[in-house]
Amino acid sequence: MKKILLPVDGSDNSLRAVQAAIELAKEAAEAPEIHLLNVQLPIISGDVKMFVSEEQIKAYYHDEGIKALARARAALDAAGVPYRYHIGVGPVAETIAAYAKEKDCNQIIMGARGLGSLTGLLLGSVTTKVTHLVDIPVTLIK
Amino acid sequence: MMEWLNDPATWTGLVQIIIADILLSGDNALVIALACRSLPLHQQKRAIIFGGAAAIGLRVTLTAFAVYLLTLPYLKLVGGALLLWIAVKLLLPDEGHGEGIQSQGSMWGAIKTIVIADFVMSVDNVLAVAGAAKGDIALLVIGLLLSIPLIIYGSTMILKLIARFPIIVTLGAALLGYIGGEMLVGDAKVAPWVAANAPTLHTLVPILGAILVVALGKLFAAKPAAKVIDLAAEDKPAN
Repeated sequence: MKKILLPVDGSDNSLRAVQAAIELAKEAAEAPEIHLLNVQLPIISGDVKMFVSEEQIKAYYHDEGIKALARARAALDAAGVPYRYHIGVGPVAETIAAYAKEKDCNQIIMGARGLGSLTGLLLGSVTTKVTHLVDIPVTLIK
Repeated sequence: MMEWLNDPATWTGLVQIIIADILLSGDNALVIALACRSLPLHQQKRAIIFGGAAAIGLRVTLTAFAVYLLTLPYLKLVGGALLLWIAVKLLLPDEGHGEGIQSQGSMWGAIKTIVIADFVMSVDNVLAVAGAAKGDIALLVIGLLLSIPLIIYGSTMILKLIARFPIIVTLGAALLGYIGGEMLVGDAKVAPWVAANAPTLHTLVPILGAILVVALGKLFAAKPAAKVIDLAAEDKPAN
């Protein structure tokens, strides 16, 4: 059975990856298991954690994650493609790779370039890192 | 005035201050955002204004105090050492735990959190700005003014950029190490001795400070493995 990891950051590019996954799901003879994922960068430092409770921090990441997932979920819902969604926290590429392993995925579909397009150009993008970290096929959607 | 503007030291000082502000104000901005997010919308604005104003007052007082203290003999040595420590700490992996002050969800509770957090977390910023300004009051005021919008409106953009590209932190920590080194050789008691006996130390110590910070940071930094945390695990299943 096909298990697809679909990491999104809410950008137009990642939404095109969602569209590609939807098409793939519709063409497939057997419906694939789709894991929609958004990874939040761990921007809350130890100093900040002194002043804010664990629940507040989780709620913050959760809210930001839901916001980033919104468009992708709407597209999948509209297409009637079943999926599960996840919100991870950590370094983006490493967390995507860890999820792919944890969920036993055999393919990753993602946007070739996400929100950090300029910085991605300068310093190497998340996608490049992901392709290095995993040993399953990674489909990049432009 | 023209002389001040034409002095390259003014501009290097200003650049140092801006970088220190950007690097060290993000956390304060985040606490404000987190402390206010559970309040109703109309209270959010007031909490941000009151909390921000109190935090700014606090920061002005702290900076004036720091500038005065740094004129005293030997205290620049202490300040320099402290700044070197702050710089190294920037590079160390996070060990903080979310004990957290429990917010009561009230506006005054949020303001209290903002002020206490700013008091604790602006020490690093105040020290760095005071060090980079080197007693230049105009620079000091500019540095303070610049840090204020960063605290209040500081978007999480900067923090996200830093989280994605750790090289920014390394460069920033090196800069703080440099300022710390400058502070060490600029001490009221040390400066005359350096000028008389070993003038090269004046340029050497700041550079060594920067190298020391980065080396210590690299030595102790351990890259945490990515974990699979799923914050959406308890959400209702899709469809």
